[in-house]
Amino acid sequence: MSELYTASGSKVHAHKADIFCRDETRVDWHSKALWALREKRDRAAGSLPEWEQLRLLGSQLKLHTLSHLAQYLEQFEQQCLSNGIKVHWANDAQQHNEIVHGILAKHKVKKLVKSKSMLTEECHMNPYLERHGIEVVDTDLGERIIQLANMPPSHIVVPAIHMKKEEVGELFHQQLGTKAGESDPLYLTRAARAHLREKFLTADAAMTGVNMAIADQGAIVVCTNEGNADMGANLPKLQLHSMGIDKVVPNMDSVGVLLRTLARNATGQPITTYSSFYRGPQEGGEMHVIIVDNGRTEMMKDKILAESLKCIRCGGCLNTCPVYRRSGGYSYNYTIPGPIGIAVGAKHDDTNSIPWACTLCGSCTYVCPTMVPLDKIIAHHRRLKADAKRLPYGKGGYMPLVGRFMASETLMNTSMSAARLALRVLPGSLLKPFSGAWGKYRELPVAPESSFASWYNKNRSR
Amino acid sequence: MKIALFIPCLVNQMMPEVAIATLTLLEKLGHEVIFPAGQTCCGQPMTNSGCFDEAKNTTLKLLNAFKGVDCDAIVCPAASCLVAAKENFHEFDGSQEAQEVISKLYELTEFLHDIAPIKTFSRPVAAKISMQMSCHGIRMLNLATPTEQMGKQRFNKVEAVLGNIAGLEIVYPARIDECCGFGGTFAVDEGAVSAKMGKDKAQAHAATGAKYVVGFDPSCLLHLDGMIRRQKLPIATRHIAQIINDAL
Repeated sequence: MSELYTASGSKVHAHKADIFCRDETRVDWHSKALWALREKRDRAAGSLPEWEQLRLLGSQLKLHTLSHLAQYLEQFEQQCLSNGIKVHWANDAQQHNEIVHGILAKHKVKKLVKSKSMLTEECHMNPYLERHGIEVVDTDLGERIIQLANMPPSHIVVPAIHMKKEEVGELFHQQLGTKAGESDPLYLTRAARAHLREKFLTADAAMTGVNMAIADQGAIVVCTNEGNADMGANLPKLQLHSMGIDKVVPNMDSVGVLLRTLARNATGQPITTYSSFYRGPQEGGEMHVIIVDNGRTEMMKDKILAESLKCIRCGGCLNTCPVYRRSGGYSYNYTIPGPIGIAVGAKHDDTNSIPWACTLCGSCTYVCPTMVPLDKIIAHHRRLKADAKRLPYGKGGYMPLVGRFMASETLMNTSMSAARLALRVLPGSLLKPFSGAWGKYRELPVAPESSFASWYNKNRSR
Repeated sequence: MKIALFIPCLVNQMMPEVAIATLTLLEKLGHEVIFPAGQTCCGQPMTNSGCFDEAKNTTLKLLNAFKGVDCDAIVCPAASCLVAAKENFHEFDGSQEAQEVISKLYELTEFLHDIAPIKTFSRPVAAKISMQMSCHGIRMLNLATPTEQMGKQRFNKVEAVLGNIAGLEIVYPARIDECCGFGGTFAVDEGAVSAKMGKDKAQAHAATGAKYVVGFDPSCLLHLDGMIRRQKLPIATRHIAQIINDAL
C-alpha cells in the first residue's frame, strides 16, 4: 500500500475512491442524486431550441475575452474606480489573503459573512482569517453545513451533496441545538435560516465570489439561490468581492448569454433565483474588488490548458461524470473535484493520479455550457505527467514494456497463445490471483482456441 | 469495394469471432476483403496513459501495415481503436502516405451507414437487443447524437444500420450513453470505480429484458461480459458484426 501514498501523506485517487466505493448504498444514492441534476439539466437545456448556439456563443465570448484579457481587465478596473469601487490585484493566494485581511483589519472587522466563493476556498482564506482572529461565516446553506462539519466542499455548486439529511440533522443538533433525530429538510432549513439571520445582522463585513465581472460597466454579478449574497452585501457597510482574472466579460450582452446557460446547466433552473449586480458601494460604505491570478496566467501559456479558463463553474461536468458520481468529491486531492477539478487542479496534485480518475468518455465536454474540451485537457495532463516522469500506478515502470510488447508480433503472438491456453485449461480460481484488479471484480474472459490471424491463414490466405 | 480489415489486438487475440463475422458479412455484401499482415495494436493503451514515446513504434507498425495497400477502405470493428489509430497516425506521421491511410479508415457501423449501406437483409434475427452506446463511437465518431447534445437534428447510425433486420427489437438501458467504466487501463488502475460502473451498466442492460447486449466496441463488451458473468445476469454480449452477419 505504501506506493498509494506520497511523502506528504496524500492518497492516490483510486485508493480514496476504493474507500468511498465500499459503502455501495451511499455510492448509489450519491450517483442518483447527481444524475437527477443531469436529467433536470437535459430538460432545461432541451427546452431552448437555441441551446447549442448559446454554448457556442458562450465559448466564443470567453475565448475572445481571454485572448484580450489585459484590455478587458484594465477597462473593468477603470470603470470600477469611476463607480467608486476600490480595486486590488493579487498574484497568488497568499497576497489575496493578505489584501483581504488588510482591509478587514483596517475596519476592525470581527465577523465576516461570506457567500459563493470557490476562489476563497482555493486560497484557503477561511483558516487564514481565523488565525488572525476573524470569524468567517459561510452563508450559503450547503456551505454552512460543511463549515459546521469542518469539511471542505465536495461539489462546486452543491457543496454538501455527500451528506444525507439525517447526517445534517445530527450535525445541526450538535452545533445549533435543533431537536435530536430530526431530519425534516424544512425544519432544518428554518433552523439554519434563523441561525444565519443572526449572523447577517451582527456581521461587520460581507464577502462574495464573482460569477461575472462586466468590463464596460465596472460591475459584478453574483448568483445565489438563497439571496444570501444580498443579505450580506446590503447589511454591513463594508463589502468585498474576490474574483479570478478569468471572470471578466466584455459587456451586458455577454452576461445575458452566460446567465441563460449557468443555472440551466447547473440545476436545471431557467435562471438562478437571485442574479445580483453590484456596481458601487452603498452610501457611506466601501466596496472592494480583489482580482486574483493565482496561476491562471501560467495556465494560459499552454494552449490546451488555457481553455479550462472558459469555465463558468456551473458544476454540470461533475453531475454527468460517471467517475465523480461514484468516487465522491474528496477523492480528487484538490478543492475543485470532477472533470474541471482535474483540468485546473492536476498540477497541484502531488500524487499525480487525478488525471487518471477519468475514462475519457467525453460526456463532460458535451455537457459544458462554454465548450471546455475537458476530455482533451485531461488527456493532455496525462501527457504532461508522462513527459515529466510523474506517472502513477506503476505506469512509469510497465509502459515501456507494454510499448515493446505491442510493437512485436512475435512477442504478442507467443505470449497471447500461452495466455489463451492458460485461460482455457487452468481453473479460474488458480488464475484469479494473477489477474489483478480485472479478476478481482470480473470473471476472466472466455478465451478462444486461436487468434483471428491464424484462422485467416488457415481459411482465407492463398 | 476492396476492403482492408483493421483487426485490433484485442479482437485478434481474444475475440476472433468478431473479426470472422466482420470478414464474412463484408464478403456476403459483395466486397473483396483482405487482411494486411503486420498489425498489432493502435497504441491506445500507451497514448491513453500519456506515454507517447512508448506508443510510437507500435503505432507506426500498424500504419506501415496499411501504407501502400491497394484498397478503397480500411474497416475496423472497434470504435475506440479506430479513433486512437486515426489520432495516433496523425500524431506520429505527417506524410501524404499516412494521410491517405487515415482518409480510408472507417469503423464498421460508420462504413455500413455512410459508405456502403446494406440494401436488404435476407434472414430474420428474432431477438431483443439492448444497445451499448459506447463513448468513443458516440462522442468521437458521431455514430449517434449524444444525450448531452440538444437540438432537433438527432441521429443514430447504429439503429439505422440494424433497423431493417426482421424480428430484431432494439431497446436501450437507463442512462443510455453513460460510460460502462472500461476505459483501458482505468479498468485496473481504478478497479473499484470501474467495477461499480460496469456493474451498474450490466444491470441496466439486464433490466431491459433483452437477450443480448449489442455493441460496436469489443473492449467495452469484454468488460461487460466479465461483469455480467460475475453477477450471473441473464444476458449475454454480442458484437454488432455478429448480429448483422446472422441477418445476411
